Amino acid sequence: MMPIWTKSGEKHAVTLLKVQDCHVLRYVSKEESGGKTAKLLVGGKNVSPFSKPESAHEIFKEAGVPQKQKVTTFNVTDDAIIKPGTPLYAAHFRPGQFVDVTAKTVGKGFQGVVKRWGFKGQPASHGQTKTHRRPGAISTNKAAKVYRGKKMPGKMGNIYRTSFGLKVWRINTKHDIIYVNGSVPGHTNCLVKVRDSKLPTYKDCNKNPPFPTFFADGDEELPEDLFDEEIFQFTDPSVSFA
Amino acid sequence: RVSSDGRPPKFQPPPKPVIIDRKTQKEERRFLSPEFIPPRGRTDPLKYYIERKDMIQRRKVFNIPEFYVGHILAVTTADPYASDKSKRFVGICIQRGGKGLGATFVLRNVIEDQGVEICYELYSPRIQAIEVLKLEKRLDENLMYLRDALPEYSTFDVNMKPVPRMDHEEIPVNKLQVRMKPKPWSKRWERPKYNIKGIKFELSEHKMKAAQKWSQPWLEFDMLREYDTSKIEEKIRKELSEELEK
Repeated sequence: MMPIWTKSGEKHAVTLLKVQDCHVLRYVSKEESGGKTAKLLVGGKNVSPFSKPESAHEIFKEAGVPQKQKVTTFNVTDDAIIKPGTPLYAAHFRPGQFVDVTAKTVGKGFQGVVKRWGFKGQPASHGQTKTHRRPGAISTNKAAKVYRGKKMPGKMGNIYRTSFGLKVWRINTKHDIIYVNGSVPGHTNCLVKVRDSKLPTYKDCNKNPPFPTFFADGDEELPEDLFDEEIFQFTDPSVSFA
Repeated sequence: RVSSDGRPPKFQPPPKPVIIDRKTQKEERRFLSPEFIPPRGRTDPLKYYIERKDMIQRRKVFNIPEFYVGHILAVTTADPYASDKSKRFVGICIQRGGKGLGATFVLRNVIEDQGVEICYELYSPRIQAIEVLKLEKRLDENLMYLRDALPEYSTFDVNMKPVPRMDHEEIPVNKLQVRMKPKPWSKRWERPKYNIKGIKFELSEHKMKAAQKWSQPWLEFDMLREYDTSKIEEKIRKELSEELEK
């Protein structure tokens, strides 16, 4: 995470996400998948194929692509279908876009009710016998049972969570890095899924995105760094108010 | 030559010439700002490389002078609410913290009997000028104890003229021992954890001995805490000098 300053001198915290060897693996049509839209299987980060079973090698052999650590699905409209085997780059996103980021949260192990659910516990003194971080009562008398889904101690973290509506401030095309506003679930160097935001406020935010994606062997030549309009670039002199 | 014994005189080798290499001596003392050194951790070094590129870019446009804790600095920042749209603050640098672009330094001064500390970010675009008024290092790297010292040690004239620097080689170390206000202090500065050499403790010997109870003499031998930055520093210095010359 890094600080970033706007032209008016305000500071925002930014997370860096690297797009590492992403390839499209397979196209699944609407009827095949049984959903509302067609799906594209995308794989991330390269990994050695020797630690995986032979059955997992098939998809990658078909697409002609090295073994990937993680495979995710993206719901795609019919006009945005990409041929399996195309690499995906950070330039697929543009500064000023809004994005949802999904990842597995940091695993905390078996945790008690105070840390896991935010219960208040009991006071530290004034006669409490061996009860300081316990849940207290778990149900009423009339119910005569404990409801399903009762908040109790258990394994916390290591589940998929999404942060919605994160602004993209900057894109580095040379190293394939996306600068995303705010924090993102997961530990450092964990695998993360970045997707166009599904929030209704940001529905019409994309003005001329690269559609269906950014092709490296195309005619477009992008500069090394793409900045949002409001960012203070370090090549400018210091900010002064008129 | 004829000697007294008739034997040839004992060979005396000529005195070895003492070579004073002025160039290498100058290169030894070069300052690397502490925020360039990446902390120990599992982050990808690519992230530090990219941050360094941004920092170098900022340094090319705006001059950040070399300064240590104990220097007296004057900082002018842009402020939309001030009448002149800019503010100037003079103070002694108490602490330098943070790594990378978020590096900060805290300046302290006593203005009209009120102690004021302001924490500035080195790479913030609001800062318009940093001038070093007086160069002097102190005995410690963290002068937070000035909060509990007598206010005369933290007062500096706001209209101070910059003291001209004589040698380009050495930064003088001020071995000032500061006198403190009566206890209680914000932290127990006499404890060995803070390792402060710049205070003149006027406490009884009994209390100083009692404070040594909290000493942890095994810490300096702990190998897992060692972080040798010499090679990393050399690489970063090379990178910096190459980029700044462009």
